[in-house]
Amino acid sequence: MVNDRFKISPYLALFVISTNQIGVGVLGFQRIIAKSAGHDSWIAIILAALCVHFLLFIMYMMLKKTDGDIINIHQNIFGKLIGNFLSNLFIVYLIVQTILVLRTYLEVLQVWMFPELNIWVFSFYFLGLAVYIISGGFRVVVGICFFSIVLPLYLWFSAAFPLEFSSFRNLLPIFDHSIKDMALATKDMTLSIIGFEIILVFYPFIKNPEKSHKWAHFGVMYTTLVYLVMGVTALIFFSPGQLEKTIWATLSMWKIVQMPIVERFEYIGIASWMLVVLPNVCLSLWGASRLLKKIYNVKQKYMLWAIALFVLIISGLLTNRKEINVLNEIYSQVGFYFLYLYIPFLFIATLILYKVRNKE
Amino acid sequence: MFNWFQKKEKKPKLFEQVYNLFKKSSDFFNYYSSEAKTPFWVCYQTTIVDSKILHEFILPYLLYYPLESAKDIQRIVPIEQIIVTDKIEEIRDKILTGYVMVQLDKNDRYCALIRSELNETREVGIPEVEFSVVGPKEAFVESLDTNLNIIRRRLPIHQLRVKELTVGNLSKTKVAVLYVDQIANKENVQTVLQRISDIDFDHINDSSYISEIITDNQFSPFPQLLDTERPDRVCSVLVEGKVAIIVDGSPHALIGPTTLVEFFSSFEDYYINWYLSSFFRLIRGFAVAFSILVTPIYVAVLSFHYELIPKDLMATLITSRREVPLPPILEALFLELTIELLREAGARLPTKVGQTIGIVGGIVIGTASVEAGLTSNVLLIIVALAALASFTTPVYKMGNTIRLIRFPFLIFADIWGLLGIVYCFSLMLAHLLRLTSLGRPFLEPIYPLRINDLKDAFVRLPFSKLSKRPTYVQTNNRQRFNPKDAQEKKDIDE
Repeated sequence: MVNDRFKISPYLALFVISTNQIGVGVLGFQRIIAKSAGHDSWIAIILAALCVHFLLFIMYMMLKKTDGDIINIHQNIFGKLIGNFLSNLFIVYLIVQTILVLRTYLEVLQVWMFPELNIWVFSFYFLGLAVYIISGGFRVVVGICFFSIVLPLYLWFSAAFPLEFSSFRNLLPIFDHSIKDMALATKDMTLSIIGFEIILVFYPFIKNPEKSHKWAHFGVMYTTLVYLVMGVTALIFFSPGQLEKTIWATLSMWKIVQMPIVERFEYIGIASWMLVVLPNVCLSLWGASRLLKKIYNVKQKYMLWAIALFVLIISGLLTNRKEINVLNEIYSQVGFYFLYLYIPFLFIATLILYKVRNKE
Repeated sequence: MFNWFQKKEKKPKLFEQVYNLFKKSSDFFNYYSSEAKTPFWVCYQTTIVDSKILHEFILPYLLYYPLESAKDIQRIVPIEQIIVTDKIEEIRDKILTGYVMVQLDKNDRYCALIRSELNETREVGIPEVEFSVVGPKEAFVESLDTNLNIIRRRLPIHQLRVKELTVGNLSKTKVAVLYVDQIANKENVQTVLQRISDIDFDHINDSSYISEIITDNQFSPFPQLLDTERPDRVCSVLVEGKVAIIVDGSPHALIGPTTLVEFFSSFEDYYINWYLSSFFRLIRGFAVAFSILVTPIYVAVLSFHYELIPKDLMATLITSRREVPLPPILEALFLELTIELLREAGARLPTKVGQTIGIVGGIVIGTASVEAGLTSNVLLIIVALAALASFTTPVYKMGNTIRLIRFPFLIFADIWGLLGIVYCFSLMLAHLLRLTSLGRPFLEPIYPLRINDLKDAFVRLPFSKLSKRPTYVQTNNRQRFNPKDAQEKKDIDE
């Protein structure tokens, strides 16, 4: 059991869920969803959000029944041996997530700010900071999540600048795409707002976890709002042909922000984005090391150092865009099946299990 | 002077032991009075005993009253603190704190220790470190008794508890822990008492020693206990439920638990209109951010991101930097270090010389280095403003911390530009998140978010709105007063 001293208030679930969903994806998701759904892709954002709400809901149902984390769920359904094996796969999933988030952010840095940036050195410092934060305990990790939502709030203003040059007619006609296209866009979108599954790890760290349910949903709503604003702004700012060629649409929109003493706002944006990426890395590192501790009964800090070292080496060895894309593809596929097949399966299994148990 | 007596008379055993302990000190004094009704032996350290008390209130009574035993001394001499004992350790310690030892020349095993301590302290002065234009003008002094007296007068309630401890193997410093019973959280009090009694250190000179030893994280540049020289501040936080530590020999009291925000609130904020104090607090917050960030941003922009600034402003910057051969980081470090030198020299020199050095040094070096082409005008202005801003921090120790943490920011700005600044900021944020003050979160009320405490953090709302004590103190009694009485809602013309 987790000591009460290390638990967080229920409302903080909003920040944890939301910040883990918002990551590097926001900087360039517009092109990906527009590929299949074009100017209707904003509907896909809403549909994806509804899916996430549903998935989050069944996760909470499962967690409330089990009153533990994913390890308990696995062990309940599959028994200790197979259950722990599956939890190990989830740990690998979290570690890959860490690598991808870190490496994609570094990619943005290299493309937009410092082409010569040394991946090894920067990853080392970045992971060092993450390890320092996680060593302070979950409370400190959540603190960073909190600030990563609160401090970059000023970036909202940046969404107002492109409006001057946008044409709302880009959105018309509405519902101009087939259901299949919409479904594809929704799938692509879901992968951008992935990250809420971290609830499967930190649920036991919430004081009165039942009360956090609504806050978690508010968190998803906030994320949806961010994506919706960024998505719609991009759709009306870029023409469809332009958007196809713009990899980092949000960054390109920041380029036209102009203030009396600031030109090229994207520099400020990208630098501030570190605060947004940092909690993602922290949460998945924390989650992976926490689960390892619980399964193998080892010291969490050693596991943390080991994983951080592993992440450092892998992200240093990934040298070009192609390799990152391959990893991204695999991760997306796994994430898709994990969310849409595995989670509902776990949910049904848990339901049946508790039904049977209650009868006995 | 009475040496010829001592040769003849045989000292009682206990007295002999004490005499042997102290006789090598030349300020130790002892004599035998054979003229008294009951002959007795007296000894004391002349340098710490008030001779006025000795001659007016002790010796006359001893000389003219018949005494049977040491207990009688307790009855007859009109001084409250008289101890009758035969323990040599106690006698030794008491003599060293200004007690006079008296032993009757009978076969009495016990001796009496009479307190007649000489208190040499300076007058209660005006606060110099935390000066305020309005509000009370008294500051703590070095004497513990005087300080306690000032506090007691401001808080005449029986719930105000004073727990006295002695710490320091050699200095035997008296440390008083103050709290208001029924308001202060027992856990906080217990933590403080426990940590102070655990102190194992030879010489405690000042409250800063205690602060450094009992602080939650010794390796942090941030002070985690507030120190103040204002009795009004101490009293007001005692009433909020915090714990104060007063150390004998130190004019600074320590207060805990505290938060980062409290270090940026001057106590004068409570003496002026709340609009003004809120405004000043915001100004101070801005000043801190400015002082930490502005030079690093200059370095970052001129080293990496000159596209960031519009070309009109760029022209100004380039013109002023045209003659400068140094890279921005060296230019900035040179000026920052100059300012630090001026500050340090000003702090070490006597006031009048210090001022002259400050003005001459500042103006002459500044102008000359610009003319010599070592720095640009713009950076000179920025650095001077940043220095000025850093001095607005009301608590001196926090001001020093602010001045220190600019340097890592500068260095990271030179390595990774804006990214480095954000990195350093995240590091600072993570550090602050990990800090605690007596086990309570240091960043409260921002994280964990406490709406009630925000009323008196970055702004100060009027007193009628501050009806609850701060949450992080975890006081037993949250309510300061009934808010309904404070704000009676009236209709027009009623």
